[in-house]
Formats: sequence, structure tokens, C-alpha cells
Amino acid sequence: MLKVIQLDKTYGQNKHSLKDVNFTAQPGEVTAIIGPSGAGKTTILRSVNQLIRDNGGKILLDDQDIRQANKSELRKIRHHIGMIFQNYNLISPLTALENVLHGRLGAKSTFAGIFGMYSTDEKQEALALLNEVGLGEYAYQRCDQLSGGQQQRVGIARALMQHPKMILCDEPIASLDPKSTKIVMDILRQLAKEKQLIILINLHQIDIALEYADHIVGINSGEIVFEGPSQAVDDQVLQKIYRQADQPKQAVTANEN
Amino acid sequence: MKTNFQSPQQFFRQRRLRLGIVLAILLVIYGVSMVLVNFQTLASLMQVPAGLIWLFKNFIPTERSISYLGPILYQLWRTLIVAVSSTICASLLGLILAILGAKTTSPLPGLRLVIRFGASLLRNIPVVAWAMILLFSFKQSDFTGFLALFFMTLGYLTRAFTETIEDLDGEKLQALQAVGANYFQCVFCGVLPEVASTLTSWVLYMIENNLRDATLVGILTGTGVGFLFNHYFKSFRYDAAGLIVLLIAVLVICLELTSTQIRRAIA
Amino acid sequence: MIENSQSDSKVVQPTPNSKRITLLTKPRLILRGVLIALALVTVYSLVTLDAGNLKFSDAFQSLGANLQAMFLHPGVGQDTWSLLLRALTTSVALAMLTTLLGAFFAFFIAVFSARNLVPSWLATSIKAVMAFIRSIPTILWVLIYSVVMGLGANAAVVGLTFHSIAYLVKAYSESIEETSADTIEALKASGVGFWPIIFQAILPSIIPALLSWTFIRFEINFANAVAVGAAAGADDIGYYLFMASGFYFNFHEVGLIVYLLLGVAIVLEVVSMKLRGHYLQKN
Repeated sequence: MLKVIQLDKTYGQNKHSLKDVNFTAQPGEVTAIIGPSGAGKTTILRSVNQLIRDNGGKILLDDQDIRQANKSELRKIRHHIGMIFQNYNLISPLTALENVLHGRLGAKSTFAGIFGMYSTDEKQEALALLNEVGLGEYAYQRCDQLSGGQQQRVGIARALMQHPKMILCDEPIASLDPKSTKIVMDILRQLAKEKQLIILINLHQIDIALEYADHIVGINSGEIVFEGPSQAVDDQVLQKIYRQADQPKQAVTANEN
Repeated sequence: MKTNFQSPQQFFRQRRLRLGIVLAILLVIYGVSMVLVNFQTLASLMQVPAGLIWLFKNFIPTERSISYLGPILYQLWRTLIVAVSSTICASLLGLILAILGAKTTSPLPGLRLVIRFGASLLRNIPVVAWAMILLFSFKQSDFTGFLALFFMTLGYLTRAFTETIEDLDGEKLQALQAVGANYFQCVFCGVLPEVASTLTSWVLYMIENNLRDATLVGILTGTGVGFLFNHYFKSFRYDAAGLIVLLIAVLVICLELTSTQIRRAIA
Repeated sequence: MIENSQSDSKVVQPTPNSKRITLLTKPRLILRGVLIALALVTVYSLVTLDAGNLKFSDAFQSLGANLQAMFLHPGVGQDTWSLLLRALTTSVALAMLTTLLGAFFAFFIAVFSARNLVPSWLATSIKAVMAFIRSIPTILWVLIYSVVMGLGANAAVVGLTFHSIAYLVKAYSESIEETSADTIEALKASGVGFWPIIFQAILPSIIPALLSWTFIRFEINFANAVAVGAAAGADDIGYYLFMASGFYFNFHEVGLIVYLLLGVAIVLEVVSMKLRGHYLQKN
């Protein structure tokens, strides 16, 4: 279980990006963070694995506070948190198979990592994962020759290769067409159920969020304005989440991509 | 890329094999070169730190070296001037040749080949060879260095300018032709203003480069700051030689910074 | 002269009370200033160029005769074909050796001078040191090292390598800085350490750029190797060039050597075109 308690983040002087953020995400469920652009969705997601250093609060993953971890502990924790991105962030000249294997790099010694030494089991597992996301025949294709939806599925396979407890998804479908969106979201929902993973997704498409997520976290101007099951989201809640802030919000948008 | 691997193991085996072959070839090249040149890698690398220490001990200018400042600055100035003027003269001629030789602006297709070939010939004869060839006829004078740099720069800039002009959008030229401009109007009002800033940054780059090469040419032809360095160096006045090295470095860095600024300003 | 370019067009709006229509924008003005300054320096230096007691007509006549001897009647002079070819091989070997050594060291230094990998104070200071080394001509490095290590191959290699490293560090670190921060972040997010990221993520992405820069440096190093032979007495083709033209005044031999150098240059050009073509296909 992921528990975020009183998370706080400021950029520069008193430009609040996150203010007293509390929410939980359960294994086996898809949790979606929704809100207007610039509300702080990305900041929350990146605080969870400490790609962004926050200013205060607690992030408990199975009762271990990620914020208290030192450098090498953080590396170990990160290894059990998969992450997929809007722009897939694969190493494009390498094959799909090699990119999936990168999911194991975090578990290796520096030496084995430098030379990319993977065991036979790991190679077989990577191939099996590619088959699982329906890309078995593209295993030896360079990633820049794959379509966006295919690249995102390679990204998912890479995350799974980490044997994660949790997968963070930063706008995973923002660059995809409707058909690829459906494939990717179906895979994510299935993973949550079958492997009992915590899946935390940033989304700006409300309809997708309501269709696929079990649990919704609504955020506006760095504050949580709603948390609850997706069935409980009605027009009133949506209005609250997407209401216009009184003042312009450049300060917060600065760090959201 | 073919995708018919039977297993990941096979794929990685092939990849490792290819990497291994490349590394082996590089190692063989290194080994053979080492033998040919008669170079001792380890022994020489071990001497590098000692060399640096020696350098810092002996090459640091002392109070005594200040007395050499006058002639050094004078020769440095001469070298700079030779570098600048040879580059500018070469760029003027190079521009004319490039206009005549570029695909888009060449009046005669036959001329293109001749200019290309000539430029490639000039470029590929090392500046050392130019210096040595010219030294016989032009003796130990600034003019030898000037001509050596001039010929090499001419080769480089003609090619660079030609490519720049050819990169230019052909439609802009057609637009001018459509208005009824003749050949010279097209070139002077259409082509040159468009490429002026790119050409200038090539010229600035060549000036930087030629300043360094001018030192080398100076050593060979007995002129400029290169000659002075050689002279102090061979008479064991290392502090003065060190002062020269320092001043050259300062001058080159200043030139680099200035031309970066200029490039940014005219872009 | 009428200037025509897009950036000017907005200045040329017909306003009734503007006294003079100007087509000059600020960048254009600076460009003109720079060109005028360069022209002035050129005129000044051409006027004051120390020509000694040269008679230009004689000098150009003798140059013409020499060029004729060189290019129309090349010959081996007092050396032999095998000697010259061996010397040429030495030059090529010298260039290969210094390029390989330089590339090896430069890669590791470049990692520590790429802004997206290390703190910017470290990157800046390494880059400053490299800029200093680069600003000193290669030949001076060779001469300096020849005092410490004695004249000969070792000093030549070390001196040439020094300058190669400084040159390649700049090129490599700029290539590294061009890799997208996002892909690096993706691996960081899964707990991958520094060196594995370098070798598994960054290196595969920038190999074409590295190859192309290294090859450019190889061409430079070949020219430098010839220069070192001529100016610092390393036993390569440059030395024979120096002797033939400076001591024996045998321009037939100079011609032959120039032909040999041209031959190598052509081979290098072809190889580099093939190499680039190969990688363009792959990408």
C-alpha cells in the first residue's frame, strides 16, 4: 500500500506547488490522479520515487518511508517502482528486447551493469514479457522503428522487468491515438488485478480515468480536493476539481510538462 | 533489420561477437601502430605526470621573462595579422570560386568540377607541405607563411562556402528571377545577404584555426611567434618560451570568445 | 546596395514622417562592422607585410618551376620507395595511435564534463582546462614533451594525444549533453547507477556522433603527424618532406611525397563517406 501523508513542495520562495497532500493507493487497484494542467500531478508522481525532492511530509510504501532513505537505499526502493512516461523514454537505437532488459539494470552490480550482462533466465523473461504485451515478434526491432503505442508497451514491459510493487504512469496515453490508448490502459488494468500491483496514473482525460480507475484523486492548485472511488465522481466533484483558480498559475505550470 | 533470431541468447551472442570483433580490430590496429611508431605506451604514460610537473616548474614565466615581452608581443601581433589577412584574402577569392562553383549559382557546369577538384587538392595538401614548398621561393619572410595559410584556407573555405550556398533554398532565387533580376542581381541581392552570417562564422572559425597553424608555419619558415618560440626553446630559455605559450593561449581563447559573441550577434 | 531579407521587411513600412528609410537591422550592422574591421586589418597587414628583399616576379617564377618539377616529374630523390612508404605508414600509424589513445581518455573525461551528468562547477572547470590545452598549438605540446621524454616517437605521441584529448572532450561532451534528459531520468527512476547509465543508455545513443568526431580528429591527426615530423624530427613522412625541400632542394621528391599525402587523404575521404553512409542507413 502506498500512503502519502502531508506532502509539501515549494518552488523558490513561497510558490507552493503541493500543499498538504494526503492520499492512499491500494494494490490491485488503478489509482488515477486527475486535475487541470499545472495543478501538480507530475510533481506528486515524481515525489513518490523522489525524482523531485519535496520539502516535507511522508511517503510510505509498505510502511517504509521513501523520504528517509539514503542514496543506496533509495536506489533499491526505486528498483521496485516501475515508471512509464508520456514520451516512452526508451533508448531508441537499441532493440525492444534490450530496452526491456534495462529493467534489470538497477538490480545489478556496477560491473555487470556496465557490460549489460544478463542471465539466460532474464533474457527469457524479457522475451516472455514482450509476448505478454503482444510484441513478441518485434523483440529484435530497433525502438525508433516502433509506433508510439508499441513503444509504450515496451515501456510497460521494462517496468514489469523490475518485478515492481508499484508502477507510476506519467501521462502514459497523452501521445497515443484512441486505439493504442485502449490497448495500453487495458494492459495496465489487467496488471493491477493479476499481479496485485499499485498502479498510480496521471491523467488529463476524465473519461478514461472514470472508465479505468478504481480510485480517483482530484487535485487543484496543489491541493487534494477529492479522494474516493470512481463511482463517487459526479458533476459536482468534477466542477470542484476543474474550477478555475482565482489567480494565474504560471508558478506551478513551470515544472509540469 | 532481420528479426529471425531463434532465441535471445542467439541474438546476444551475435551482438557480443560483433562487439568483440570491433574491439579486436582496434586492439590490433593499436598494437601494430605501437610497433611501427616504436612507442612504449606504459612507460610514456608514466612520464606524463612528471612531464607536467617539469612543465610547471620550468615554463612558468619569471620576472626575468618580462624583458622578453616586447619582442614577443610584436611577433604575436605579426602572427595574428598574417592569420587574419591570409584568411580574409582566401575568403574573398573563395567566395568568388564558390559562387562560380555552387550547383545553384554556377554559370557553367564544367567550371563546377574544376573548382571542386582544385579546392580538394588545395585542402588536402598539408599546411606543412605548403610551407616547405613556398619556403624555397619566398625565403624566410612573412609572405611565405601568408601564402601557405592562404592556399590551405582557400581550399577549405571554397568547399565550405559552396556547401553553404547550395544549402540555400532554391525558391528564393526563383522568386528573384521571376521579378526579372539578372544573374548579378540574383547573386548580390538574393544569395549573398542570405548566406552572409553563415559565411562570416566560417571565416571567424578559420581565423582561429589559422592562428594556431601560423605558429607551426612560423617554426618551419622562421617567422613570427613560432620562430621566437623555437629560438627561446632551443636556447633553453624556457621561461620565455612559457610566456609565449601562455600568451598564445590567452590570444586564442580571447579570439574564440570574441568570435562566439560575434556569431551570436549576427545570427 | 539594396538588401533583401525577411528580417528587414518590417522596418520598411512607409511611414510618412520618417526622414530616411533604413534597411539595416542590428545584426546586419554588427556584421558590417566586423567585416569592415577585418578588411582594415587585412589592408594594414598586406601593406606592412615583411617581404624581405623579395622580388615577387622571381619568386613566383621559381614557385612555378618548382610546382612543375613537383607535379609533373615526381621522383624518389636520394631516398627509396620503400623508405618513403615506410615513413608514410609511420605517419598513418602515429595518427591512429594518437586518435585511439585520445578517444579512450577523452570519453571518460567527457563524462565528467557533461552538464547533464555532473554538477555544473565540475563540468565548467574541466571544460576550461580543456579549452586551455586546446588553445596551445599541437606542435608546441610535442616540443614541450620532447624536452621531458627526449626527441622521438614517445614525445610525439604524447604531445599529439594531449591535443586530441582536449579536442575530443569538447566534441564528446557536447554529444553527451544532446541525449535527452528524459531517457536518463527513466533509468534513474528504476534505480540504475551512474556508470551503467553511461554505458547502457548514453553510449548506444551517441555512437554515430562519436564515430564521426573521432574520424574528423583522425584526419587532423594525420596532418599533425606530418607537421610533427617536419618540425620536431619524428621519423615519419614529414621529416622526409622537410629534408627534401629544406636541405636537398629536391622538388621531384617533394612532389612524390605530396602525391603520397594526397593519396592518403583521398582514401580517408572515401572511408569516411562509407562509414557515414553505413551509419545513416542504420539510423
